[in-house]
Amino acid sequence: MEVLLYSLRKLLAGIPLVLGVTLISFLLIVYFGPDKTYELVGKNPTAEQIAEVRSQLGYDRPFVTRYMEYLREIVTLDFGSSESTDEKVSSILARTIPVSLLLALPGFILGNALGVLLALVAAYFRGGLVDKLIMGSAAVGMSVSYLIAIIGFQILLSSADGLDLFPVRGWDTSTPLAYIQHVTVPTLATVFVALGYNTRFYRAVIVEEMTRDHVRTARAFGIPPAKIFYRNILKNSMVPIVTRVVFSIPLIVISGSLLLESYFGIPGIGKVSYDAIITGDQPVLKAVVALTAILFVVAQLLTDICYRLVDPRVSLGASTR
Amino acid sequence: MPAPLLEVNNLVVEFSTDAGVVRAVDDVSFSVAAGETVGLVGESGCGKTVTGLALLGLVPTPPGRLASGSIRLDGQELAGLDDSSWRSVRGRKVAMIFQEPMTALNPVFRIGNQMIDVLRQHQRITRRQARAAAIEMLAKVGIPAPDKRIQEYPHQLSGGMRQRVMIAMALSCSPRLLVADEPTTALDVTTQAQVLEQMVRLQQEFGMSMILITHDMGVVAQSCSKAMVMYSGRVVEQAPVTELFARPRHPYTGGLLASIPRIREQRIPELPVIEGTVPDPLNLPEGCRFADRCNKVRDYCRLAQPELKPIGRADSKVACYVPD
Ligand SMILES: Nc1ncnc2c1ncn2[C@@H]1O[C@H](COP(=O)(O)OP(=O)(O)OP(=O)(O)O)[C@@H](O)[C@H]1O
Ligand SMILES: [Mg+2]
Repeated sequence: MEVLLYSLRKLLAGIPLVLGVTLISFLLIVYFGPDKTYELVGKNPTAEQIAEVRSQLGYDRPFVTRYMEYLREIVTLDFGSSESTDEKVSSILARTIPVSLLLALPGFILGNALGVLLALVAAYFRGGLVDKLIMGSAAVGMSVSYLIAIIGFQILLSSADGLDLFPVRGWDTSTPLAYIQHVTVPTLATVFVALGYNTRFYRAVIVEEMTRDHVRTARAFGIPPAKIFYRNILKNSMVPIVTRVVFSIPLIVISGSLLLESYFGIPGIGKVSYDAIITGDQPVLKAVVALTAILFVVAQLLTDICYRLVDPRVSLGASTR
Repeated sequence: MPAPLLEVNNLVVEFSTDAGVVRAVDDVSFSVAAGETVGLVGESGCGKTVTGLALLGLVPTPPGRLASGSIRLDGQELAGLDDSSWRSVRGRKVAMIFQEPMTALNPVFRIGNQMIDVLRQHQRITRRQARAAAIEMLAKVGIPAPDKRIQEYPHQLSGGMRQRVMIAMALSCSPRLLVADEPTTALDVTTQAQVLEQMVRLQQEFGMSMILITHDMGVVAQSCSKAMVMYSGRVVEQAPVTELFARPRHPYTGGLLASIPRIREQRIPELPVIEGTVPDPLNLPEGCRFADRCNKVRDYCRLAQPELKPIGRADSKVACYVPD
């Protein structure tokens, strides 16, 4: 009950954020985004033709009216149809978001899980050889660009010069095997570039927790290291770790990985958003912007609830200490 | 006279820093008899906490290390123990209470759980028995409604209450020696007095020895039978408290005593100010480290370090060429 009330309050408090983000984005789309008129009118249009197309697109109406309409669309979650393909925006999202999730999730999960694991090992041996080895590798991983990692794994695993195990590009989730075949190379590339950042971040978090006073107290009372590691260090590291993980979620759901999707020709949301920006497909853009903002509010809520689960000092009640 | 409970000989603790090796504790020797309370005083940074930590093998390593010396507790040599042997000493034979009660407990576990962990670490008892013992200890240190308090998280308790929990935890395994590192400095004045009184009462009840690290000479006068004064990593004077107050031998001790506030409630967070500053630990003088601040300094004081030597009839020692 407490959680429910809190969620409601938090979601209401998120409304200004959604309003602000959508207003600014919409301003940019309308006044600085590409104009679809000239794409549609054909060659040598007359002034009347231009005016007609503009009114069809709704470009001639006042900004406020159009923004109000946008808000109505957000509330009803009905953004109309794409101006490029005439497909309903809702069906585009329903088609592409699962693809992006399936593409990004394995890399995201592995990248974070391995990051925490390596960070724990590095922190445990901090200052020692193992630590230096892990952090050195992390630095190397961080300095390799995403594209290079993708191409590298592709040559290594998908080309005739390499092991030739996986398809070069494309997407197929019809069977689990097909899915694994198509997702492996993108996942490896993602993990490769994300792991360095994740390991560094998590190591910093864990090392900070290791130097806390209560860790010294536990040691002063003869508590064994394994227990201290779990109860004093890991448990207290959960707050920053959860924050980082949850706040990455909106990005995977909505922006997907543009680079992966365009490079491998995978029909995910990243590709769709990119195309919409290039062509000025306003219904799709409006949907993507609104959804991102809403997801961030939800992510914020999720992190707060996770905080409550791991940290007794956090109260979801009205009084925030 | 029976052998003392704790005997520390020529203890040296070093830290390697970027600028060089710092001797935080330099050739310190002292002993603590069973049931005795020894006060350890000295300016900030003189090595009190590090001395205390060394007694529990808790000097952070790296950068620190116990460079040499011996620590005999109850007949057992502690210097050079491996980690698992240290673990059976910590909490059971010697316990430590830290200065900062606000951060000394794990914020994400109930205090009951933390106390039960400690109890079960050192005694073969069930959770239930440990819980009962924890409640009993909390009652002993003056926490009202201990059976309710035990369910709470550290942030739900005041600073004074948390320090009492720490004391309860420290006493729960009946250690032979308690190292209390400025246990009341972070508390407000009235709580300070209460917590201190409770601690001394329990220490007597348990027949425990105690090393009380403090800034407050008043506390030393009140609770300790013997006192050690440290300066720049070395013990400069060591004497029974009555003797020390009646006749401070080292000019530094004299300076400390000269400025004790007369009124009981007027406690001071820091030691009284003596003109000048402590020498840079990376750049120590050849001779007496207090020479630059001493009003009785002679030329020969700057030539070599004075040794800690017995003086007078009482069990006093002083490291000074021109003691009072
Ligand atoms: N982790 C560390 N790394 C490097 N040097 C340290 C470390 N801990 C302590 N030292 C050195 O040891 C010296 C003594 O520190 P210590 O904490 O024992 O002082 P103290 O007498 O307890 O002071 P205070 O009254 O402020 O608590 C410091 O001046 C510092 O030079
Ligand atoms: Mg200290």
